[in-house]
Amino acid sequence: MAVKALYDYDFPSADRIENFGDDQLVYVHWAGNPLFCSAAAFRAPRATPFGEFVAAMVQPWAASDPEFDPASIAGWQLFDEPLAADPQRSLAELGIGHKSLLTFRTA
Amino acid sequence: MSLTERPPATSAPAKKLPVKQRYSLLTRDLDWEPSYVNRADLYPYTSYEGIVVHDWDGWEDPFRLTVDAYHKYQSEKDKRLYAVLDSFAQSQGHLTLSDASYLNSIKLFIQGVTPLEYAAHRHFAYLARYLEGPAPRFAALCQSIDELRHAQTQIHTISNYNKYYGGFHSWSKMHDRVWYLSVTKSLFDDAMSAGPFEFLVSISFSFEYLLTNLLFVPFMSGASFNGDMPTMSFGFSAQSDESRHMTLGLEAIKFLLEQDEANVPIIQGWIDKWFWRSYRMSALVAGMMDYMLPKPVMSWKEAFELYFEDQMLGGLFPDLAYYGITPPRHVQDAIAEKDKLSHEVYKILHNFSFAAAFTTSTPSDDHMAWLSAQYPDTFDRYYRPTWEKHRSVEAGGGRVFFQGLPQLCQVCQIPIAFTERDDPTRISFRHSEFRGETFHTCSDGCQWIFDREPEKYVQAWLPVHQIYQGNCGGPTVPDVLAWYGIQEGDNGEYAGSPDQQQWAEWHQPAKGGN
Repeated sequence: MAVKALYDYDFPSADRIENFGDDQLVYVHWAGNPLFCSAAAFRAPRATPFGEFVAAMVQPWAASDPEFDPASIAGWQLFDEPLAADPQRSLAELGIGHKSLLTFRTA
Repeated sequence: MSLTERPPATSAPAKKLPVKQRYSLLTRDLDWEPSYVNRADLYPYTSYEGIVVHDWDGWEDPFRLTVDAYHKYQSEKDKRLYAVLDSFAQSQGHLTLSDASYLNSIKLFIQGVTPLEYAAHRHFAYLARYLEGPAPRFAALCQSIDELRHAQTQIHTISNYNKYYGGFHSWSKMHDRVWYLSVTKSLFDDAMSAGPFEFLVSISFSFEYLLTNLLFVPFMSGASFNGDMPTMSFGFSAQSDESRHMTLGLEAIKFLLEQDEANVPIIQGWIDKWFWRSYRMSALVAGMMDYMLPKPVMSWKEAFELYFEDQMLGGLFPDLAYYGITPPRHVQDAIAEKDKLSHEVYKILHNFSFAAAFTTSTPSDDHMAWLSAQYPDTFDRYYRPTWEKHRSVEAGGGRVFFQGLPQLCQVCQIPIAFTERDDPTRISFRHSEFRGETFHTCSDGCQWIFDREPEKYVQAWLPVHQIYQGNCGGPTVPDVLAWYGIQEGDNGEYAGSPDQQQWAEWHQPAKGGN
């Protein structure tokens, strides 16, 4: 159903990827940890290797929980599918696109 | 003629007209048929939404109020309210509040609700110009003036606290900028950018009729229980207006449903959308009721059962069934989460109050005992353990905040923190694709709303994404807080905050000596 309007209703998305240059938004959810109310949002370069993304952005955030142990990250999902998260490959190479939702669990 | 002499009476005093006739002369009779302008040019907005109105005079006015009667009545109410404000201020009434932390709920009110009153004033003024019938135009005019008066009296009432407490100073700027206030602002922007009939169903019906008791009464009862006489008096002062607004909402929807059968599915769609939009916004009230009042009034769950399930689903919707209207889509999802909602929302506020113009704290033992009694099926099992963990971190001198930014719902703009209907431990993530881009929503209700009008919601000004685009003062938390207008001490943890420390100082036992 289209928006009812008196004119041609056509506006660009406020968060289209062009607005983020070489970067994009990525959401990361720590499943099973209710200390965090929601997933976190990050702005990261598409070319950044996954391992660097985790070390530079995800781990400092996860450390909001004083019990967080980086070695305990047990597995990743991209939306609902398991992700073979090769730390050397970039977000783009792993198919992690703009506004993707990543989930990890801890052992 | 001397000054003391009265002029001779020339005629008997004019008889007073009966109220009904007087009302008719002063409102409907002021309308006229345009002669040199097309009706469609005069009223350009009343057809494109697909609503058909055959007879604008079919509008029944529930209150036969004229402008002079209206002003007389309102000015009496104002006098009473301002007398209370004066006496409270003169007697240092703020010292008799239950606790300084109570004011967090009032900060939320002036930052989140008062600007909506002003927005409503503006849009009802627009309806007072553009609705085609004189009676609904006049009703909209009265409501427009009411809303302006509500905005003013709330500002006058609540700003008294600005002298002594944090978080009350920049609410207007904050409303336009701060992440949790975008929840309330974007809801009203959504309604104001819709057509006049959708606005009536959204604000007059769904907001003012269906949910007003849930949105408004908890703040006023909270005020009464926690010693906030001014806010309570404001509530009383607004109550008769609110009941008039509720009646307008109901009259509007019945009028539209009676005009043409083709209106029914359009209105049902708006009820479905706006119930969920308003209900999602009321989640902030749920968190306030259960966690922010030092002396709680009733739980969110109890209020929801009384004001929504009993009064609306039990009382109103059986009446509307006559017109072919069914209870709002996704209403069962709302009922199913009444044991979870407030806990999930306060968790968000507690995680992020470092970036808010109010403070939060982990509930005390007494408070947790109350929550456990109110929520026997969920609190001890799902929420107490997390609060205990916060407690243990705090015992070691720490405080857990979310060191980052949250993922927001594209529609309600609340962090995506609500859980699946059948599993309070699993966050409900929904996403849609539109023009090759992914959009995330927090629930089936918000996803349904997005999918219905994606062209509208792709434009959402999501605070988190705006920060990441560099539009909010800079890349660091202090940059953003400065741009928000949040000052040191407005935000964060209540324990140790300036409000808490000053309160303790003011309430020290009087020192003896000479």
